[in-house]
Amino acid sequence: MQTLEVLHLKKTFKLSKKQQKLEKTKTKEKVAVNDLSFVAYPGEIFGLLGPNGAGKTTCLRTISTLIKPDEGDVMVGGSSVVKDSFDVRGKIGFLTSELKLEDHFTPNYLFTYFGRLHGLEEEIIETRKTNLFKKFGIEDFKEVKVGDLSTGMKQKTSIAISLVHDPEFIIFDEPTNGLDVLTARSVTDYLLELRDNGKTVILSTHILSVVEKICDRAGIIINGKMKICDTIENIKKTNPSNDLEEIFFDLIKQEDQGGAF
Amino acid sequence: MKNIGTIFKKEFYRVISDKRLIFTAILLPGLAIYLMYSFMGDALGGELEDVMNHEMIVYVENMPSEFENFVLAAETNVIFEEYQVSEHDQLKEMILNGDVDMIIRFPENFVTDIENQEIPDVLTYYNPGEKYSSFAYDSFAGLLNAYKQSKAFALFGDAYSIFTLDSENAEHIIVNEDKATGQGFAMLLPMLIIMFLFSGAMSIGPDSIAGEKERGTIATLLITPVKRSEIAIGKVLSLSVISLFSATSSFIGIVLSLPKLMQSDGMSIDIYGASDFIMLFTVLLATVLVIVGIISVISAYAKTIKEASMLILPIYFGTIVLGMSTMFGGEAAGSFWVYMTPLYSSINIIISILTFEVDAINYFATIASSLVYVSILIFILNKLFQSEKIMFSK
Ligand SMILES: Nc1ncnc2c1ncn2[C@@H]1O[C@H](COP(=O)(O)OP(=O)(O)OP(=O)(O)O)[C@@H](O)[C@H]1O
Ligand SMILES: [Mg+2]
Repeated sequence: MQTLEVLHLKKTFKLSKKQQKLEKTKTKEKVAVNDLSFVAYPGEIFGLLGPNGAGKTTCLRTISTLIKPDEGDVMVGGSSVVKDSFDVRGKIGFLTSELKLEDHFTPNYLFTYFGRLHGLEEEIIETRKTNLFKKFGIEDFKEVKVGDLSTGMKQKTSIAISLVHDPEFIIFDEPTNGLDVLTARSVTDYLLELRDNGKTVILSTHILSVVEKICDRAGIIINGKMKICDTIENIKKTNPSNDLEEIFFDLIKQEDQGGAF
Repeated sequence: MKNIGTIFKKEFYRVISDKRLIFTAILLPGLAIYLMYSFMGDALGGELEDVMNHEMIVYVENMPSEFENFVLAAETNVIFEEYQVSEHDQLKEMILNGDVDMIIRFPENFVTDIENQEIPDVLTYYNPGEKYSSFAYDSFAGLLNAYKQSKAFALFGDAYSIFTLDSENAEHIIVNEDKATGQGFAMLLPMLIIMFLFSGAMSIGPDSIAGEKERGTIATLLITPVKRSEIAIGKVLSLSVISLFSATSSFIGIVLSLPKLMQSDGMSIDIYGASDFIMLFTVLLATVLVIVGIISVISAYAKTIKEASMLILPIYFGTIVLGMSTMFGGEAAGSFWVYMTPLYSSINIIISILTFEVDAINYFATIASSLVYVSILIFILNKLFQSEKIMFSK
């Protein structure tokens, strides 16, 4: 079973004094993800859509075992992020802006390093390196230190490295951030390719066009809660305008009014 | 196990592929110590030479010509000036200012008084706060004493000497040269060794752990299917090896500068045999693991490199004080419990190795207890790596 099930996930952060000021709130806690559930299936791209601060990254960090849920669980291909976090880490490829690569090393060195940490054979590492580096145009920059790479090239290197072990589950948090149209296209194209190879792909973004173009299903999160979760077509049908953007705005407006009561 | 090796290699490569780090963490400590100690040695040596070359200015009253000849025979570098009672206060002031080094006043009928056995009193004046005056006093006190002996002998012959001291005793000085040299090392080295191990580890530890947190690269490592304990062990081992390199460089610095510092060629480490070096090395290894363990735990706890360095400083100074306390004793502690105390055990066992007085039980207690402490520290480090609060605190 290569499905990824998010089950009643809840994550609360304690806010430090500094964060309270930044968020302009007096409450000591922030519920970042609130009773969130959804399922992503193999052979499809699931889009996690939501405005800034909605809880997308928090949800994905929980799936990737970087942080533990307060309540609920995520089953990744049958392994629980709470109980078998070690197994989960072997199955997923995770990308988020928080995961940085060390400036001192080259893409070539780091790819091999992480390949080894995933327990891969040297030969397999080399083959995958050649493929992925070619695919993302890293070939010519593979001996340049990460610190000297452009933002886009860094991002592409991160993407390649997150896929070193050919994971069944691909969890990408705003993968096209900071990329030019051409490069962004190569990334989304590759995600489609992964989907066609039967991988389970979860993608978070606030770019509606990306969702419309490549996602099979999507969930809209606002304030940590899942507002709607369905195929793109069905989501669109909920509004006479048949426009994702309208639906998105409506949901946010509703939430704001709800919060006022 | 394989992962430990992979992480070790990467951490190690991080340092040795970085010219700046090689210089600051490995080469600089040795170079700095060599230059500092050589300079100190030269300065000390120069000081002595300076005093020897100084022409003493001594005011004398009624100096017997016999004594003057005595002084000339001893090739003393001195200018005698005539003392006038009327100038007494003025001369005292000059001694205070360091313009005059000494006054020696013989009574008027000094020589005849002696012959009549009237025991005349010689008056001397000097300033112990001035190095030239001090040296003048030491020289003339010796000369006057010798002069006294020779006068007494001339007057009374053998009847005067009630006893002699070691006049024909060739075995007067009984010393095990090696042990004496060892004692010298034991006073100097343990503190320095601990300091070097510490500063070596301090120059790379915070960057390798707190730095990775600060830069967000640790998260990339934490999402791989690698046990946190393997990350902890891999990091501690590679930091330890590099700290050992750094300490070795410092050690070479000391050994090369010792002859200059001591102003003698006698201080040489070739008094120690292979087994001493093996013991010393194993102790250093165990010690560096403990030190790196401490630094790693602090660095994992701290939010930034800066905070880590700040938190490490008090412990660093604490160990220096511990090292200092043994520096003056130059002797290892006897109590077994000392050898169960982290770092303090190392200082004491290093002393006993250097003074050829190692107790096997204490040696093994030091190694074993250090390994236990490292395991505890690695366990804590492992827990810290597992804590999202610690790893992702903002
Ligand atoms: N470590 C933390 N401590 C305190 N609050 C946090 C922490 N991480 C996230 N939050 C808060 O939780 C909420 C959700 O954040 P999250 O990063 O998941 O949002 P997001 O949907 O990814 O937003 P964006 O589109 O801006 O990336 C935000 O209000 C954020 O301030
Ligand atoms: Mg985000």
